[in-house]
Amino acid sequence: MIPVIGLILGILLGLVLEPSVPQGLQPYLPIAIVAAMDALFGAFRAYLEGTFTDRVFVVSFISNVLIAAAIVFVGDQIGVGSQLSTGVVVVLGIRIFTNVAAIRRALFRA
Amino acid sequence: MDLLNQIIRQPVDPDYAAVAARPGPPRRSRIAFAVVSLLIGALFAVAALQTTRSAPDIARERTELIARIKAAQQNQDALRDRAGALAAENARLRLAGLGDDAEARSLERQLDTLEPEVGTTAVSGPGLVITVDDGPGTDSKAQVLDTDLQIMVNGLWASGAEAITVNDQRLTSVSAIRTAGQAITVNYRSLSPPYTVRAIGDLRTLQARFVQSSGGTWWNALEVNEGMRYDIQSSEQLELPGDPGLVLHYAKKAGS
Repeated sequence: MIPVIGLILGILLGLVLEPSVPQGLQPYLPIAIVAAMDALFGAFRAYLEGTFTDRVFVVSFISNVLIAAAIVFVGDQIGVGSQLSTGVVVVLGIRIFTNVAAIRRALFRA
Repeated sequence: MDLLNQIIRQPVDPDYAAVAARPGPPRRSRIAFAVVSLLIGALFAVAALQTTRSAPDIARERTELIARIKAAQQNQDALRDRAGALAAENARLRLAGLGDDAEARSLERQLDTLEPEVGTTAVSGPGLVITVDDGPGTDSKAQVLDTDLQIMVNGLWASGAEAITVNDQRLTSVSAIRTAGQAITVNYRSLSPPYTVRAIGDLRTLQARFVQSSGGTWWNALEVNEGMRYDIQSSEQLELPGDPGLVLHYAKKAGS
């Protein structure tokens, strides 16, 4: 229950408050979202397998976002930022696809 | 490959299994959990808002750029007109400066024959108007290429044409027909289809010779095989503008 309410509340808060993201952080927003989606689907799969722990989720989310942002930041400094963000999106995208497929199999047995 | 395989084989954080395997109930951190889910939700909302809000900005920037391009093109046209007027003024002053002796008259005759040939002055006379366009559909094979126009123009020269324009761009002794970006450019001007090629020459022989030249056969094949538009019309009176952009950069008159 906590995550669903939290998600909905967060979306509402974001829509109502309309916080503006600082210019310097804007390139990292899409990467942070992909990292967050990866953490979310991974957590949901773990939940279906009965191994979910909220502490691991919090740690994996924060480290995911930080590492993804750090990779893109380093890439920006050495001039290959867009290539490295593509790399991050590809790797996390593969994980998201695999996890969603596993969730689908667990939920619908198909 | 090993890295990708590992990502596919182990898509869930292994810590979940490790913590679950520990004896005893796992330690909970509900507040951090709630805060993180709140943060993820806010992240989604902010990113979506940002994208939708910046969309009109991007569209405005685009129209602004288009307006600037149009203004620059108009400016270029105005400058071209001015260059034409100045060239005409030059010719008039040159005529006045030459005087009226025998040497001056022979120089004038030389200028009169050379200027229309290199393409700096406007000329008129009978000739052909050839209109070509891309074939139907989006097939890139049926698009007019710079080489197609080059072959046509070379065919016209070989058939006795004395002056040629492509979409009102006069071909001078230094003009190039080439593709730059998405468009064919002549005299550094981007052209858009349909392409109209006007050529002044002897009406009795120009068309017959052109049809038999490499340009004529090439375009006949394009019309038949690719369905490209290829119309030839003859005209009793054509007015071809000159290209005033022709100057000598390095060459000097011999002996001076």
